[in-house]
Amino acid sequence: MTTQLEHPWQAALDKVKTWARVNSPWAIHFNTGSCNGCDIEIVATLTPRYDLERFGVKLQGSPRHADLLICTGPVTRQARDRLIRVYEQMPDPKFVVAVGSCAISGGAFRGCYNVVGHIDKVIPVHAYIPGCPPRPEAIIDGVVKLLGSLQPPAAKN
Amino acid sequence: MTTSVQTGTPTDPALGRAETILARWAPVASRPEPNRLDVPVPAEDVAQAAQALGRERWGYLAAITGLDHGPEADRLEALYHFCSGAAVLTLRALLPRHGGTVPSVAETFPLAMFFERELSEMFGVTVAGTPDPSRLFLPDDWPTGVYPLLKDVNPQAALAAQSETAPPRLQGKSDGDRFIVPIGPQHPALKEPGHFAFEVDGEVVKGASVRLGYVHRGIEKACEGQTWVQNLYLLERVCGICSHTHATCYALGVERLAGVEAPPRAQAIRVILGCLERIHSHLLWLGVAAHEAGFETLFMYSWRDRETIMDLLEQLSGNRVNYSCNVLGGVKFDISAEQAQAIRRALDFVEERTRHYLEVVSTDTLFLGRTQGIGVLSRQEAEYLGTVGPTARASGVPIDIRVTHPYAAYRAFPAEMVLDTAGDLTARFVVRMKEVFESGRVIRSILDNLPAGDLTVKMPRRIKPAETISRYEAPRGEVFYFLRSNGSDTPERVHIRTPSLCNWTSVLTKAVGAQLADVPLLLAGMDPCFSCNDRTVVITRPRRDPQVLSWEALRSAARQDRRR
Repeated sequence: MTTQLEHPWQAALDKVKTWARVNSPWAIHFNTGSCNGCDIEIVATLTPRYDLERFGVKLQGSPRHADLLICTGPVTRQARDRLIRVYEQMPDPKFVVAVGSCAISGGAFRGCYNVVGHIDKVIPVHAYIPGCPPRPEAIIDGVVKLLGSLQPPAAKN
Repeated sequence: MTTSVQTGTPTDPALGRAETILARWAPVASRPEPNRLDVPVPAEDVAQAAQALGRERWGYLAAITGLDHGPEADRLEALYHFCSGAAVLTLRALLPRHGGTVPSVAETFPLAMFFERELSEMFGVTVAGTPDPSRLFLPDDWPTGVYPLLKDVNPQAALAAQSETAPPRLQGKSDGDRFIVPIGPQHPALKEPGHFAFEVDGEVVKGASVRLGYVHRGIEKACEGQTWVQNLYLLERVCGICSHTHATCYALGVERLAGVEAPPRAQAIRVILGCLERIHSHLLWLGVAAHEAGFETLFMYSWRDRETIMDLLEQLSGNRVNYSCNVLGGVKFDISAEQAQAIRRALDFVEERTRHYLEVVSTDTLFLGRTQGIGVLSRQEAEYLGTVGPTARASGVPIDIRVTHPYAAYRAFPAEMVLDTAGDLTARFVVRMKEVFESGRVIRSILDNLPAGDLTVKMPRRIKPAETISRYEAPRGEVFYFLRSNGSDTPERVHIRTPSLCNWTSVLTKAVGAQLADVPLLLAGMDPCFSCNDRTVVITRPRRDPQVLSWEALRSAARQDRRR
């Protein structure tokens, strides 16, 4: 994230990097076994009524361009390996958002034979957004809180 | 009072015809419900009986249910459900619990290949002569010999005993001069995971295959360990888009098993919610399909207008997606006069917008260039491939459970079927948009004559041993539930057949020979829902001239495929 070299430009460079990261995170969405409820709410979040792009968040296609991985659903056995691969393809620094009860705990599908478990059993998670499914406002709130946490304390005020 | 809950006529004439066709086995037939006929057939005769039905064009194959009677009874049944209008005919083949074999019926009903693969991976039944015996919806690293839906099999224990090996990675196929375009499981155009491989020659698709099962969770097994009431909440989460569909279909079936009928007001509220769900689902689909065609403006507009319906659903139920409207024996909430007025106002707005969208999809030159004459599915093909829902109705197949087998309040407030004959992508847009108006009309007629009375009746906790079949017209087509009770407070078996599963064959058949650029829209055209069907691998190879297959050519191609 930050290089160790002491350099007069370093502080300014870090500031610019954080500014860019917080102001235009690109997101990728991966459904690991969800019922679709969270997924349609994520799409609703991106459409005119809620418009997540106001915060610079843009949904795009490739994991290689993404800063944010938005996951929904419990992790099924078939999706586990693919989730890891998508996560590994993302460049550092990367952040994972688990959307919905199933992504957080397995939800209604906890204990089903083809369900490995929740998202943070497989990859690290930075923000949890509860709900079955969470409302678009909750998703926006979760993402904005995550972005806020990326600011260094001094830059917050 | 009980058994006629969902049946239009006391005894269906179609069943009399079925008895004649199956005269050889009919002496042992029984009628568990007025619209159902159960015909026990020896396992080796299943294909013959299916052929007889196919020859006489009696209905379509709706599902194949595996039914394990447990280690004590030491037998297993394969139930082949055929539907024609309201009539349901079930061929019951008795099998040993281990090493049973049934002949394939995929020659007569191509759709059966999905059901047969499900039967073999879930119950260990060998299906002789099925076109593709590979895994349908269990993961690649599933241990062999573990059949999760057998009563005495504990899949979790079997998986724990399995040595931890890295699951096999998806192999990129490079085979000589064939060029394969992989899509998924993560892909910007798919909000749900599925892995497609399109074999292309230049811009033309030469072969198509799909691997699903990324969202297979094991809900049917989980249902057997929970009470009837708990399952209502689990089944509502089979699919987030049609959550009301699954909950209502299940509730109607369980009420029939228990000999209870929900009050008229509850049935009316169920149908209102169902119609609102259809409108939101069709507008959602319009946006997604427009997105696949590169028409982002339409995507954003239709999703903005869909929010009007989401507001209504939230106002009525308190939640935007999983409404949790049903309880066994009725519904949870009432619709007040003010709410009825709000629904009418919202419908005015949505109908006006939909009129505009209908005009756009049927007159806009650029959009028509992407849809007109593309993916044309003839009525014969649609019937042969077992297509359901708006995809089938766009090809002129009169199949709509709300009309042919009215359930809940659809008997008092009948819906009309929306049909088109073109069978291309434009027709699929037009049918869905017209269904928005039809749903609006049904809602208004119910609101104007909302029956008075209670919202719930008392339900018994335990249900005497019986079987029933519940069918419901979801936004994507027919949902089929087979329910069996055993006298306790948990079900013996819950089998779910969802519409998306039935439509894969038609889409992949149409993809072969199409331009690669048309494939996203072709896929979207059937409105696939992975979380519902979460199964399948289909391999479609080019046939001689995939664009112009006649009925006979299609049949003979299916026969040749089978011999191969």
